[in-house]
Amino acid sequence: MEIPILKIEEFLIVSFQTELSDQEITKLTEEMLEKIKKTNAKGLIIDITALRIIDSFMARCLSSIADMATLLGARTVVVGMQPAVALTLVELGLRIKWKIQTALNLERGIALLRTVMRSEKDSVYE
Amino acid sequence: MSEDTLAVKNEYDIIKVRGFGRNLAARLGFGVVNQCRITTAISELARNIVVHGGGGFVTIKTIENDRLGIEIICRDEGPGIEDLELALQGGYSTVGGLGIGLSGARRLMDEFEIDSIRGKGTTVIIRKWL
Amino acid sequence: MTEMEELTEELSGLLENNAGELKKQWVKEMTEMRLLEKLTPVEIEQQSSAIYDTCVMTIKTGMYEAAKKYAREMAKKGVLEAMTVDQIIMGMLKLRDVYGRFIFSKYKDDVEKLYKVLGIYEPIANRILNIVALAFVEERERVIKEQQQAMLALSTPVLQIRDQILVLPLIGTIDSARAAQIVEQLLNSIVDTQASVVIIDITGVPVIDTSVANHLIKTIQAAKMLGADTLITGISPANAQTLVTLGVDLSMMTTRGTLRSGVKLADEMLKPVVVEKR
Repeated sequence: MEIPILKIEEFLIVSFQTELSDQEITKLTEEMLEKIKKTNAKGLIIDITALRIIDSFMARCLSSIADMATLLGARTVVVGMQPAVALTLVELGLRIKWKIQTALNLERGIALLRTVMRSEKDSVYE
Repeated sequence: MSEDTLAVKNEYDIIKVRGFGRNLAARLGFGVVNQCRITTAISELARNIVVHGGGGFVTIKTIENDRLGIEIICRDEGPGIEDLELALQGGYSTVGGLGIGLSGARRLMDEFEIDSIRGKGTTVIIRKWL
Repeated sequence: MTEMEELTEELSGLLENNAGELKKQWVKEMTEMRLLEKLTPVEIEQQSSAIYDTCVMTIKTGMYEAAKKYAREMAKKGVLEAMTVDQIIMGMLKLRDVYGRFIFSKYKDDVEKLYKVLGIYEPIANRILNIVALAFVEERERVIKEQQQAMLALSTPVLQIRDQILVLPLIGTIDSARAAQIVEQLLNSIVDTQASVVIIDITGVPVIDTSVANHLIKTIQAAKMLGADTLITGISPANAQTLVTLGVDLSMMTTRGTLRSGVKLADEMLKPVVVEKR
């Protein structure tokens, strides 16, 4: 499955389709990190609107991706989580371990990333 | 009354088995959120089979009491779980460890039974009722 | 073939061959007991045939599972919809009587054989009639439950008071089932309206128990996962005591005394952040 990584201004956007195999996730992760480096992207937006399930494995993957992106200088936000998935994640007990920023949609995701970037920039000057 | 048994050896089987579970759950009339809970529980247990059990089988079937329900039996002949208590508390924190899987599946479902014998294997049975 | 199998075959054969007459008898007796008042003649004919045939087929084959499935399907399709549960059960008992009397009339001259046939017939008949009656009753109950759910949904309105603010006023005692349904509805609303803040007002909830408190926490956490913040308003002194005593994780809750102050806070939260230039 070819999953495109799009660039919008200083951000990259990827849409996760449901039923990605472990191999596909690994490959996609590499591609995302490569592209962050290449384009000097400041933010990564992962659209999970189509994910009908996020199990502990996928949650860990997303977490890793966010950590790796941070090392490359990009913040990550996940957008479009389905209500059933949110509830299930809470019940799974992953709420506490979930450290990734979330937003309801692309627009809010971008706004969130910009806020985070701004506050980081400001704190550098303190 | 439906019953299917699938071999689970690799990551693709996890996806397959999830699909089966979701389909049956939907057909039985479980709502969207419960479908998600069931599918996620299956995913956790199936992954345990692949990662820790060295492969195994998953049986998905309809069950009936005074109402309908779904039952999933996950079997492997792996090394078995050393400390069940610990595993059920989500206490195995090794990387990619059993951690959330078992306790998570238990939280998501109505009924949860586990039988694990060191050196022999593990069987987990989960159920959810309409 | 064993004697039992022979007799069973003989019996079901008799019931099949005399179907026309027995059905008529059955319908006549049900009519006399006024069980079929709400059904049209066509419905009576079709539906009594369907059930009669299912029973005979099950006596013949012993396939109770199939009978159950078939009865359920009939129930779903609306067979016997016009009859009350009472009437359905009486109707099935009448069929049992009709069968029983027929068997008696056929074997009355051979008492020993009569006992044998009754010995076969009775447990089977009881089981089948039980299955069939139950299928209809259960379907009835399922429909009622569905309607109750629908009504619950209607009685839990989620109000959108601003572009990005939802208010959920909870009223009355909330049991576990209702709580679960409310959580789902609220999360769906958040996504549908893309709301950033949800205010759950519990002024109208006299008693909060552990279950409701846990659902509240779950809602707050799940909403956060989606990307929305939750405020709880209108906690009464009594409920405040309950929540603290229950050991609920209060760090999870942002609260305000009244709905009004909650809305004010929500407005504040939505103001665009003014970043000072250094």
